[in-house]
Amino acid sequence: MRTTFRTQAMAITKRDLMRERRSGEVLWVTLPFGAIALLLIPIAIGTDRPTLRAIGIGLFWVIVMLFGVLIAVRQAHTETQAQRDVVALAGIDPAAGYVGRALASFFLLIGFEAVLAVVTVALYDVPLDGWIWMPLVMVLVGAGLSLLGTLAASIVSTGRSASALVPLLVAPLSVPLLIGATQTFEALRLGRSSLTWTLMMTIVVLLLAIAGVLSARTLQESG
Amino acid sequence: MTTLERNPSSVWPWIVMAVAGLVTFVAAMSVSPDAVQGQLSRIMYVHVPSAWLAYLSFGVTMFASAMYLWKRDLAWDRRAHSSAEIGVFFTGLAISLGMIWGKSTWGVWWTWDARLTLTAIMFFVYLGYLALRRTTDDLDARAKRAAVMGVLAVIQVPLVHFSVIWWQTLHQPPSIIKPEGPDMDPSMVVTLLISVLSFTVMYAAMMYKRIDLARIEDAVLIAEQTNTGPAAGEAVVAPDLSGGS
Repeated sequence: MRTTFRTQAMAITKRDLMRERRSGEVLWVTLPFGAIALLLIPIAIGTDRPTLRAIGIGLFWVIVMLFGVLIAVRQAHTETQAQRDVVALAGIDPAAGYVGRALASFFLLIGFEAVLAVVTVALYDVPLDGWIWMPLVMVLVGAGLSLLGTLAASIVSTGRSASALVPLLVAPLSVPLLIGATQTFEALRLGRSSLTWTLMMTIVVLLLAIAGVLSARTLQESG
Repeated sequence: MTTLERNPSSVWPWIVMAVAGLVTFVAAMSVSPDAVQGQLSRIMYVHVPSAWLAYLSFGVTMFASAMYLWKRDLAWDRRAHSSAEIGVFFTGLAISLGMIWGKSTWGVWWTWDARLTLTAIMFFVYLGYLALRRTTDDLDARAKRAAVMGVLAVIQVPLVHFSVIWWQTLHQPPSIIKPEGPDMDPSMVVTLLISVLSFTVMYAAMMYKRIDLARIEDAVLIAEQTNTGPAAGEAVVAPDLSGGS
């Protein structure tokens, strides 16, 4: 039976989400870890409310980036070479595999961002100016991080010290997303248009999607 | 010509590098110091060419990586690797010199300026690229993975370059390449251009040497992988049953 690109991608997404449902890695480990980080920061820098209000939104995005990387690259640790070989032998299009994995990470990241946003507003008393933009920015950051993390995980999937190297590759490359997210809200706070920043994030997301799809076969061959 | 046939001990690249360094030194020391910054302004004649070489190196890495993905020729991979290594060195040099200049001018070693921060991030991105190359000894797998990363990582270069335009930063915006012409003294512009040219020649010589070295490294790796060593039990000899006669 011949399957379409979409069917293959959705099968991979379903597999990754089922694996997450069984292991609960994101829900029970990464998410609480991110919330703990948001709790620890005021202990370290002081609990002055105006300061926390001022830095809250920036801290939220930093935590999303650093902990989101762990979500986006988790398949680098969980998927064995044998499992990758089975997927390849099953005739799954490598590009569909990339899209499927990225889509699963995207759904998990959106959930992660939504919960952490509530925690940040509660703990830091963050002003809700421009909150209407929040879903769009969260979607762009989630898409960018998941595409980047999936691509980085494919690049170093079988190498030595892969689990340590993936965050090193992803964290600096996610800077355009961090800048876009923080500057969108900075622009709204100052009453300026944030269109440039959302446009920049959209371009980054598109470039990552194109890079991932085009390099998928090459990276599968290198595994 | 095979891997080891070219003479890797050729001395002319060293001579070119020494001459280019000397030209930069003489040019930087012979121009008058800046009226405000004094002798400190001479740092610019190494700092700016270093930053230029970082851009050039990472641009070449991207081009060579794309060429590898197209042609699948390991020579392109070696070019990409060599250029990235040189780029990391010159990025580090540009950051270090900028910090020395910043301490004297701004009073701090580091400030959270967009150009500085993004340059430091670019440095780490390419350190990651070099670390990635060390994760496997399989030449083809290494080349494929590094090529994808080499293309992807170049996104940092325009981000660093345009940061001084996009944000209000302490780092000055472009002083030479601008529509209304350079806002520096002509003697300083000429000296800066000589330094940039000398550094570019130095880069070409460094590339030549580094590619030679990369070729030898690959040859050694292949030799190690193909040399399987003695077979198990090879040292065991049949007992002499002739009674020693």
